[in-house]
Amino acid sequence: MTQLRAPISSIIVALVLGACGSVNTTYTRTTPADTSIPAQTQVNDLLTQIFLKAGEVRMFPTKGGPLEVQVDVINEGFSYRSFSYKFDWVDRSGNLIPSQTGVWKTAAVPSGSSVMIRSIAPSETATDFRLQVRRGE
Amino acid sequence: MTTRFIAVIPATVIALVGCGSPAKYIETGSPQSVVSLGEVDMQDVLTASSGMLESLLETGILKSGQSQPAQLVIDRVVNDTSSQFDVGELLFRMREQMVNSGQAQVVTTFGANPEDKTAQDQLRAQAFRQGNQVDGMPAPDFSLSGKITQMKRQAGNTRQTTYTFRLTLTNVRTGLEVWTKTVDMTKQGTKDSVGF
Repeated sequence: MTQLRAPISSIIVALVLGACGSVNTTYTRTTPADTSIPAQTQVNDLLTQIFLKAGEVRMFPTKGGPLEVQVDVINEGFSYRSFSYKFDWVDRSGNLIPSQTGVWKTAAVPSGSSVMIRSIAPSETATDFRLQVRRGE
Repeated sequence: MTTRFIAVIPATVIALVGCGSPAKYIETGSPQSVVSLGEVDMQDVLTASSGMLESLLETGILKSGQSQPAQLVIDRVVNDTSSQFDVGELLFRMREQMVNSGQAQVVTTFGANPEDKTAQDQLRAQAFRQGNQVDGMPAPDFSLSGKITQMKRQAGNTRQTTYTFRLTLTNVRTGLEVWTKTVDMTKQGTKDSVGF
């Protein structure tokens, strides 16, 4: 009986872990976007702390001039996750640009789904962004 | 032993009653803020003004004004919700960003209901003394107007309110709408809470 229990437990664990990776989102694009930036690892490390995952991180100039950042946030878990996030922008020297656009916003990702969070830089002098996230209540 | 136990119970009750959370400062609009189901909260106003500003920046519409920086006159923004708050909370944040960053100048001496009546009177008097009624008077490029609305729904004990912030920028010279933006915020729950 004990010998039988171990394989059954392994199968259940494997099924649970396998199901964790099923995100019901698809893209017609199969290669990274041209505007994709190599900050995905850092953003992913941040999001992992609140049990989420970063997909692609894109940054590009808008029609008006300032940069826009877009982050795909993926929920591979079983529960509905809400979180707060805040983007701040810094100039070439690394100084924070004070702005009324840098406020805490909320987002929610259903299980197995993904959302895109974005921010527009407050001026054309902004070259990089800082992202903070907090797990929802 | 039993006596000691009985003595501990009232002490615990008194301690718990006295343990209300003391007042403290928090970051304005931070995730520790109070979330009200039937009211517009400060974080809602901040999110709305941020969304509006981002859209203005993204489209670069203010760069299309005849004057640079663009001259802007603030028209009426109607609060059509049951929540009482000053729409200036939204508009002044936007003005701060636009004016201080040099993207726009707000004309406060324009029209029949100017924000600054004294400055308008002074400008008119100056134009009269110079014998010119037109020169020196502000000629704005855009006017900003809008509306804040709400939609309430209920299912059982769960209440849901959606607040919609809408702003429109009109080219004063052509009378055409050149920019418009809607920011929605939906709150759902059975009671108000602290933190989001």
